[in-house]
Amino acid sequence: MATKKTTKTTKQDFAKAFSELEQITEWFEGDDIDLEEGLKQFEKGMKLAKMCKERLAQVENAIEEIKETFTDNNEA
Amino acid sequence: MRVLAVHQFIGLINDFLRETVPSSDIAIEGEISDYRVSQNKWVSFDLKDEEQECVLKCFSTIWQLRTPLEDGMRVRVMGYPKIYERYGMFKLNVQSAVPVGEGALAKAYALMKKKLQEEGLFDVDRKRSIPRFPKTIGLITSRDAAAFGDFTRILNRRWGGVDVLHTHVHVQGREAVSDILGAFNHFNSLAESERPDVLVLTRGGGGLEDLHAFNDESVARAVYASHIPVICAVGHERDESLCDFVADLRASTPSHAAELIVPDRDQVLGEIRAMQDRWEEQLRYQTSQYTFRLERFMGTISSVVRMHASRVNQLMESLVYRFNSLFDKTKERIDFALRLLSSIDPTKQLSRGYSIVRSGGVLVKDVKEISQKGKIQIQFGRGSADATVDQTNP
Repeated sequence: MATKKTTKTTKQDFAKAFSELEQITEWFEGDDIDLEEGLKQFEKGMKLAKMCKERLAQVENAIEEIKETFTDNNEA
Repeated sequence: MRVLAVHQFIGLINDFLRETVPSSDIAIEGEISDYRVSQNKWVSFDLKDEEQECVLKCFSTIWQLRTPLEDGMRVRVMGYPKIYERYGMFKLNVQSAVPVGEGALAKAYALMKKKLQEEGLFDVDRKRSIPRFPKTIGLITSRDAAAFGDFTRILNRRWGGVDVLHTHVHVQGREAVSDILGAFNHFNSLAESERPDVLVLTRGGGGLEDLHAFNDESVARAVYASHIPVICAVGHERDESLCDFVADLRASTPSHAAELIVPDRDQVLGEIRAMQDRWEEQLRYQTSQYTFRLERFMGTISSVVRMHASRVNQLMESLVYRFNSLFDKTKERIDFALRLLSSIDPTKQLSRGYSIVRSGGVLVKDVKEISQKGKIQIQFGRGSADATVDQTNP
């Protein structure tokens, strides 16, 4: 059983980054968007999307068994 | 011979019974009749054998009996025998009662379900949502169960980068309830930052007897009390447990639980791409709008410029014309003046044979201005001469 522990920060970033992607999309759906701001948002979105895609390429899940307080008796 | 008071004698008997009857090793199986609850606290019933006429009076409290009981139910009770002083009655003080057989279990299950439902443990409006992208999952199941493999296999297939904190618990048998309660207690007593985003309580399918831990009141209450949202997945499609109803989210199988907890990476990737396409589309549309406006603006500008340019040309032309005519007029006048001037130029006359006579630099217009033997200067058309006057003829 794998007992790897991935860092929390990278994972926290995914949910945050994804919700930022959604915010950007919402922004783009607004009325009469400013072109200059649009380019900024687009650039920011592309960076975040790249980050998210890299994160999606991660295939492994770390499974860690908690030893404390749990007995190792055979199944009754 | 000793003389005892009644309560002393009964006390003696009770001490003897407690010391000599191995209560903790004995379960008494029988059928319940005359089940009563008084003052919402005290429980009494008769335990009977089916074949023989025999009655054991039982006493307990509602806190002691975690399983709801009913007349006709077959149960195994554990407890200690006691003579109750006030009524002089021999009773079993019941510590636990467990239904036996599918019929009794089904009845107990139905009663407990009703009880918890009435208490509001199944209420839909208390159900919490599960985060869309959980970072840490607390998995409560047996490491030896197929459920563990099914859950992790589907989890890995769909999504990556999650920390799964697995607590190995018995999912059936005597230790199951305390193991599961221990696991809930463990996760909920972690510091908030260390807590998993969601707990998964799961096992494969089985009969009512196998699923007893998942129908246990204390486990159901632990699911209810958990600060962390809980997904419960017990058995196959058709199986249900009380924990299923209490949990924030119910999955039909362990694999289904994994599907509900983590999104599918291809789907999320598709979503991200769709969002990117949308931004690009909006940006292109906006750019085209600007281009359109810009072109329209440029069109307006150039027509204005053209209009002004032709006006300027007109002005220039008229200016040039006016200048030319002015120039011509001036030139004529100058020519005229020149002609006039040249016609009166005295030197021009000299070339025709006239001469100018000066005396002491002064023009001589009268012969009286000069004297005999006086010096004069004569200017010709070409050259000049100094002369002396021989004679004057006034």
